[in-house]
Amino acid sequence: MSAIIAQRAAIAAALTLTIGFAAPASAQDKDLTLAISMRSLSNPYHATFAEGGRKFAEAAGLPFEILVTEGNSEKGLADIRALISRTGGNVCINVDPNDSPDARTIVEEAEAAGAHVVTQWNKPEDLHPWDHNPAYVAHMSFSGIGTSKEITNVLIEAMGGEGGIVALGGILSNVPAIERKQGMEQAVAEAGGAVEILDFQPADWNETKAFEIMQAWLTRYGDDIKGVWAANDSMAVGALEALRQEGRAGEVPVVGIDGTDAAMSAIEAGEMAGTVAWDPMWTGGMGLSLCEAVATGKLDIAAEPEEHREFYGTGIVVTPGNIADFKNRDPSFDYNDYWAKSTGQIQY
Amino acid sequence: MTAVLELRGASKVFPGVRALDDVSLRVDRNEVVGLIGENGAGKSTLLKVLTGIYRLDGGELFVNGEETVLRNPRDAFDKGVAMVFQEQSVIPTLSVAENIFLGREREFLKAGFIDKRAMNRAARIELDKVHLAIDPATKCSALGFAARQMVEIAKALSLDGRIEGDTVILLDEPTSVLERREVELLFEIVRELKSRASIVFISHRLDEVLDVSDRIYVMRDGKVVHEAPTATATMHDLHEHMVGRQLDHQYYREGRQRTEPGPVVMRVRDLSLKGRYRDISFDLAEGEILGLAGVVGSGREALARTLAGLSPPDKGTVEISGRRAQLGKPRGAVRAGFGFIPSERKTEGMVAGLTVAENMTLAAPGQFDSYGFIRFKAERAEARRWIDRLRIRTPSTDTPMQSLSGGNQQKVVLAKWRIVGSRVAILDHPTRGIDVGAKEDVYELIRDMAQEGIAVILLGDTLEEVIGLSSRILVLRDGAISARVEAPAGGKPDQIALIENMV
Amino acid sequence: MKLRAFAPIAVLVLLCLMIAVFSPNFLSVSNAIRILNAAAIPMVLVMGATFVILMGSIDLSVEGVVSLTAVVTASLVQNNLTSADLGYWAVPIAMLAGGAIGAVNGATHVLMRIPSFMATLGIGFVCLGISTAALGGFPVRIADREFRNITLGRTFDIPHGVYIALAAVIVAYIIQQRTRLGRWVYAIGTDETTARQSGVPVERTRILVFALAGIFSGLAGALAAAQLGQGHGLIASGRLFTTVTAVVVGGTALSGGVGSVLNSVVGVLIVVVLTNGMVLMGVPPFVQQGVQGLLIIVAVSLALDRRLLSVVK
Repeated sequence: MSAIIAQRAAIAAALTLTIGFAAPASAQDKDLTLAISMRSLSNPYHATFAEGGRKFAEAAGLPFEILVTEGNSEKGLADIRALISRTGGNVCINVDPNDSPDARTIVEEAEAAGAHVVTQWNKPEDLHPWDHNPAYVAHMSFSGIGTSKEITNVLIEAMGGEGGIVALGGILSNVPAIERKQGMEQAVAEAGGAVEILDFQPADWNETKAFEIMQAWLTRYGDDIKGVWAANDSMAVGALEALRQEGRAGEVPVVGIDGTDAAMSAIEAGEMAGTVAWDPMWTGGMGLSLCEAVATGKLDIAAEPEEHREFYGTGIVVTPGNIADFKNRDPSFDYNDYWAKSTGQIQY
Repeated sequence: MTAVLELRGASKVFPGVRALDDVSLRVDRNEVVGLIGENGAGKSTLLKVLTGIYRLDGGELFVNGEETVLRNPRDAFDKGVAMVFQEQSVIPTLSVAENIFLGREREFLKAGFIDKRAMNRAARIELDKVHLAIDPATKCSALGFAARQMVEIAKALSLDGRIEGDTVILLDEPTSVLERREVELLFEIVRELKSRASIVFISHRLDEVLDVSDRIYVMRDGKVVHEAPTATATMHDLHEHMVGRQLDHQYYREGRQRTEPGPVVMRVRDLSLKGRYRDISFDLAEGEILGLAGVVGSGREALARTLAGLSPPDKGTVEISGRRAQLGKPRGAVRAGFGFIPSERKTEGMVAGLTVAENMTLAAPGQFDSYGFIRFKAERAEARRWIDRLRIRTPSTDTPMQSLSGGNQQKVVLAKWRIVGSRVAILDHPTRGIDVGAKEDVYELIRDMAQEGIAVILLGDTLEEVIGLSSRILVLRDGAISARVEAPAGGKPDQIALIENMV
Repeated sequence: MKLRAFAPIAVLVLLCLMIAVFSPNFLSVSNAIRILNAAAIPMVLVMGATFVILMGSIDLSVEGVVSLTAVVTASLVQNNLTSADLGYWAVPIAMLAGGAIGAVNGATHVLMRIPSFMATLGIGFVCLGISTAALGGFPVRIADREFRNITLGRTFDIPHGVYIALAAVIVAYIIQQRTRLGRWVYAIGTDETTARQSGVPVERTRILVFALAGIFSGLAGALAAAQLGQGHGLIASGRLFTTVTAVVVGGTALSGGVGSVLNSVVGVLIVVVLTNGMVLMGVPPFVQQGVQGLLIIVAVSLALDRRLLSVVK
C-alpha cells in the first residue's frame, strides 16, 4: 500500500520538475494567477483537463499553475493553501477535489482570502456556491448515473436487445464507480429480463486486472457472454485485449466510459460499441474562464440563477455510427459563452 | 630449510592496546605448531594477520620464503595460508563440492558454464584426504557439525597441488565443539596431513596441544613469551608461561573474602541435561562466591544457562531459600531470585538503545510503575542511587547504554539485578572485554555483593580469576563435577591442581 | 525434508482440485491456455526477482522498470507518437534499457550503501515519473500489428508470450544451476561474510544480479506493451505485489539463500490460478482479497517450516 502512495509522490516530484519551470509565480505578480488542481497527470482525462486550463490561461495571457494531489487530500489542501497565501488571494482555482469533504475546506480558505474557486465532480451535497458568494463561483459535474444508463443502452442495442453481459467495475468505494454501476443496473432492469448481468467484478480501473478477469469469464461463461460493460475505457480495453487474444475482438460488443484515444480507435475499428466522451478540455478551460470573469468583475455571479452555479456538463456518447462526426466537430468553444454546454442543474 | 610461514618482529596496534608486540614465529614444512595463550593474549589478532584480515603495523611476514602482504582472506588462501574458522564458514545451502571450490569455480568452467561433474570429481579427491565418505553433491545443511569441519579442512587441502609452494592450515580451536571420538579422528587426520601440509593448531587446551604438536608457542599480552619443542614441554611449564605472574592477592581483594559463610540459600540436586552436564549437586551459602572451572565444553556454560532459566534441565531440582525454582523460563528464574550476567553482554545483557535508567529497571518494571504508567521520577532516583553507589561513569541517567564503556555497561547490568533483589547472581565471564582498571572495579563490586549476602556463581575469564575470587570451586569435566576445591583467603589452591581435574 | 520441498506444488495441486470441483470448466484446455497466458508476464518478472531475493535483497522497482520499458517499446515500434519503426528490435532494446536501470539499482545499493529496499524503491519512482512525465499522462499506442504477434500470435494454439516466458524460465534455470553467478547468489544470500572471504566478488555479483533482474523486467515491459497494444505510466500497476507474492508463495525465503527459480514458477501459477479460480467459482469480490491473503499465509507458513528444517543444529 505504502508503495502506491510513495509511487504517487514520486510522480508528483517528477511533475514538479517539468511543470515548475513552465509557470513560475512570485508574490510580486500583480496579475491574477490561474490554477488547476487534480489528482494526477498520469491519466488522459486529467492531463486533458489541465491542458484545457493551460489553453485558457494562454488566451487570457495570465500566469498558470498545475497542482497535483497524487490522491492525497492533505497534499492537495496544503498546495492550495500555499498558492492562496503566495498570491495574496489574487488567484482563480479550478479544482477537482481529491475527496468530497476537501471541497468545503478549499471554499472556506478561498473565501477568507478573497480567492475564487470552481469545483469539479466532488463536493458535499449541502455545500452550495450560492451560500459562498462570490468566492465559490460554481460546481461542475457529469451525471454518472445518467451517462452510464445511456452507454449501457448502446451496449444492449449492439447485443440485439438480449443476452448476458459481464460488467467490470471501478474501485468499489469510489463515487463514480458506484454511480456508473447504478446506471448500468437501471438500464438492465429497464430492458425487462431480456438482458442478464452474468457477473460483476471490480477491476479497480486497471486494464491488466480487467484482462485477467475477462479471461476467466471466457472460461466460465464462454459463448454466453453477449456483451461486456466496463466502468471506464482502460478496463474496456483490457477486456478487449483478452478477447483479441482469443481471436474474438469485434465479435462481442464492449463499451466503456471516458472517451480515451484507445477506445476511440477501437470504436473506429468496430471492436468497441461505444464510450462516453467527457469534455475535459471544456471543463478545464471553462471552469477557469468563469472564475476569471468573476474575479475581474466582468460577471456578477451572485446574480446568476442556481442552474448556472451547479450544472452538468455534456457527456457525448460516441458510437461507430457517430464517431466520424465526433472527430470532425469543432473542438474550440467560446470562453465567454459560459453555459452553452450545460445540460441542466445538478440533481441530488 | 626455509620456513613455510614466518613472522619477524610483527606488531599490530589498536587504539590503547598493543595487540601484537614484536612477535616472531615460524612454521616449517610438514610441522604441526601449537599456539596457546589465554583469552586476550593476542592469538586471534595473530590469526587475523595471518589470514589477511588485518595488516601489520610493523614487522615482516614471509610465506614460502618470500616477503608478502596478505590483502584479504582470499589472497592468503591463494598464497597457501588456509584458515579453518572456529565459527564455521561452510555455506549450508550449497553442496559440499560447491563449498570446497566457492570463489574458485573458474577451474571448472566450460564455455562459461560450470561442469558440475568435474567439480564433484575434484571434490571427491579432497574429501578422501580427510576420510569423509559423503557424496560431494550433498547439501552441507544435511551434514553434522564435525563433517562440516572436515569439509572446511578439505577446502584448505584443495590448495595442495593447485598452488606453488606449501600449504599452511590454521586450525582455530577446532576441538571446542567436537565430541571426543571426533577429536580423536581429527588428531589422526592432522598427523596424516603432516606429510602434505604444515599446520598451526590454536587451542587453550594444553593437553590437546601437547598431544598433537611438534613445537609450541605460548603467547601472553601480545607477545610470544615461550617457545619449546613438545618433547621437552610440560603442562606445568606451559601454564606458568601462559599465566605469567604469580597470584596477586590484592588484585582480587582477597582480604574482603568472607570467611564465615552464611546460611545455605540455594540447593542444587541431581541436575542433568543430556549431552551437556549430569548429576550436578551442590549447596550455596549467602555471601559465598562459588567458582565454576572447566574447559570449553565441560558443561559449565550450559549449567550457568540452565540456572539463568535459558535452557531447562532434563531432570533435577533447584531450591532457593527452601522453595523450588521453576527452571526453563527466564521470567521464572528472575522471580526465583536469580540474576544472570551473560558473557554476551552486548546482545544478551543489555538493551543498547535504551538509557542507563531504563536498563537498570528492565527486570523490575513492577517497582517503577503504577497502573501501567512508568513513574519516571522514581525510576531516575533509583538509577541515580546506583550510579553513585557503583561509581558508574555516565553523563546522566538518560544516556543511551551504548555510549558507555564496557566496564560501566557491566556495572549497569549488575545494578539491574541488585534492584530486582536477586538472591543469587550468576556471573558468566563478567570481565570479558573490559579493560584492566575496570576489571578491578568489577572485582570490588563482586565483593560488595557477597558482603551484602548475595550468593555468587562465577564463571571466570581465566582460571586465575576464578581462584582469586572464589571461596569454593567446582571443577567440571565432561559434564560432571570432577572436584570440589576449597579456596579460602590465604590458602588458594594451585592452578595445576585444578587443571588436572579439568582435562 | 525432501517432502517439504514439494509443499508449494502440493498447494498448487490442491488449489486446482478445489477449483475444479466447483467449476469443471477450470480443467479445460482453453482455460489452461488462458492461465498460462496470464502467467506469462509475471513469470518473466519473477525470474529476475527470484535471484534478487535469493541474494537476500529485494527489488521494488519492478513497476517502474516495466512501465518505462513498455513506453520505450511502444515508442520504438510503429506508433501514434514517434516515427520509429524498429519492429522486433524494440524487444532487445527494452531489455537493455531494463538491464541498465537494474545496474543503476545495484550500483546505488552497493556503492552508496543504501539498503536495496530504499534504492530500488527510489529508482522505481524515478522510472514511473519519467514514463508519466514524458508522455504527459497519455499512452503511446502501438500501430504495428505484426509486433503485437509476440504475445498475441499463436503456435500450436498456444500464445507466443507463453513460449517467451518458458524460454525465460529455462535461461534463468541455467543461470541458477550452471553459472558462477547463480552459485554466488546462493553463497551471498546465505552467508555474505564467508562468501567474501572465499573470494566471491560480492559487490560485482550484487550489481550483476540487479542488472539481470532489470533485463527480465525489460522483457516483461516489452511483452506488456505488446499484449495491451500500448505503453503508459500505469501499465504495470499491481505487478510488484504479484511478483513478490509469487516468489514468496513459491517457497523462496525473503531472508535469502533458500529457494529456486523453479519454486517461483510454481508460485506464479498459484497466484494466477487463484485469481482465475475465484472468478470461476464466483467468489464475491469482497471476499476475494481475504482469500488471497489467507492463501499467502498458508503457503508461506509451509515454506517457512521447510526452512526451519534445513537449518541443521
